[in-house]
Amino acid sequence: MSLVLRVVLIAASLLTTLYIMKKIRNSKAQIEDAIFWILLALMLIAISVFPGIPTVISRMLGIMAPVNFLFLFMIFVLLVKIFSMSLKVSALETRLRNLTQEIAIRNKKEDEYEETKEANEK
Amino acid sequence: MKELLIVIPAYNEALNIVRVVENLIENYPQYDYVVVNDGSTDETAAVCREKGYQLLDLPINLGLAGAFQAGLKYAYQKGYRYVIQYDGDGQHRAEFIADLLEAAKGGWDVVIGSRFAEKKKPFSPRMLGSRLISAMVRIASGTKIQDVTSGMRLFGPRIIRILALNMNYGPEPDTISYLVKCGARVTEVQVEMDERTAGESYLNLARSMVYMVQMAISILFVQAFRKKELEL
Repeated sequence: MSLVLRVVLIAASLLTTLYIMKKIRNSKAQIEDAIFWILLALMLIAISVFPGIPTVISRMLGIMAPVNFLFLFMIFVLLVKIFSMSLKVSALETRLRNLTQEIAIRNKKEDEYEETKEANEK
Repeated sequence: MKELLIVIPAYNEALNIVRVVENLIENYPQYDYVVVNDGSTDETAAVCREKGYQLLDLPINLGLAGAFQAGLKYAYQKGYRYVIQYDGDGQHRAEFIADLLEAAKGGWDVVIGSRFAEKKKPFSPRMLGSRLISAMVRIASGTKIQDVTSGMRLFGPRIIRILALNMNYGPEPDTISYLVKCGARVTEVQVEMDERTAGESYLNLARSMVYMVQMAISILFVQAFRKKELEL
């Protein structure tokens, strides 16, 4: 990896980490969700400070330039993250639907209850 | 209305809930209680309705943190001064509630029903996790809490509002650590607990590992950067 790339990587990973920490500090994210981003930020820093890590792995895999390995790896991590988020959105939609239906049903039951109460009073 | 509300989060506890609640109703009428049914797929809600128990029936499953927070919100809106988190599976023993409440009245914000306040913690694999988390809390907050994973915790008036209304205050060790750092007064009171009598424990080995990693990052990293929102 060239020196410029390393400097840019270190700067970018530090800034990203700072940004993530700021958001966590202000409680904008749930801790369970923040953990992924903390780990990713730490990994970014580790890779940029110790470029030997991607170099060794890319040599093992037969990839010519470490930067190509970085691209591949990042794309893979993001793909997995997108997939897990997609699963989460599906779950959220299901829960929202159940919740909405449940509220409507409970309201109806309440109406019925009040109707019978009124009828009984008369 | 009484001053203490016992919040009993229950997920698929149809086998245990009657015994737990009947004991409270019969022997401890000096406390109020509410069962929070966390979207159970079994008969938990139906059993509670049939028996006429105090019930918050969540239509979907929120997990322990969300269910307990529902109970806290209810307590906050109704104006209870103290809230205790109490297991729906019969692990916790109600005779110790009085000790915890007394400590809270003595000025403690969080009172943990601790298995190891006076007794020694055994060296077992299950306790290894407890020791690790205990050590992390000590590093992060400077306070030694023996039984930090105990699920029997009593919260006082200064804490209830914060837990009820904010994000990231789940009933877990990282919250305790954060509260200590914010200046909350946390203590432990010796209690005994029973083994589960029916149903299965949520934690298996894989889940325990994930839980440990989450707790480590949360206690040592997240809570260190987190703004101190509390004014204590």
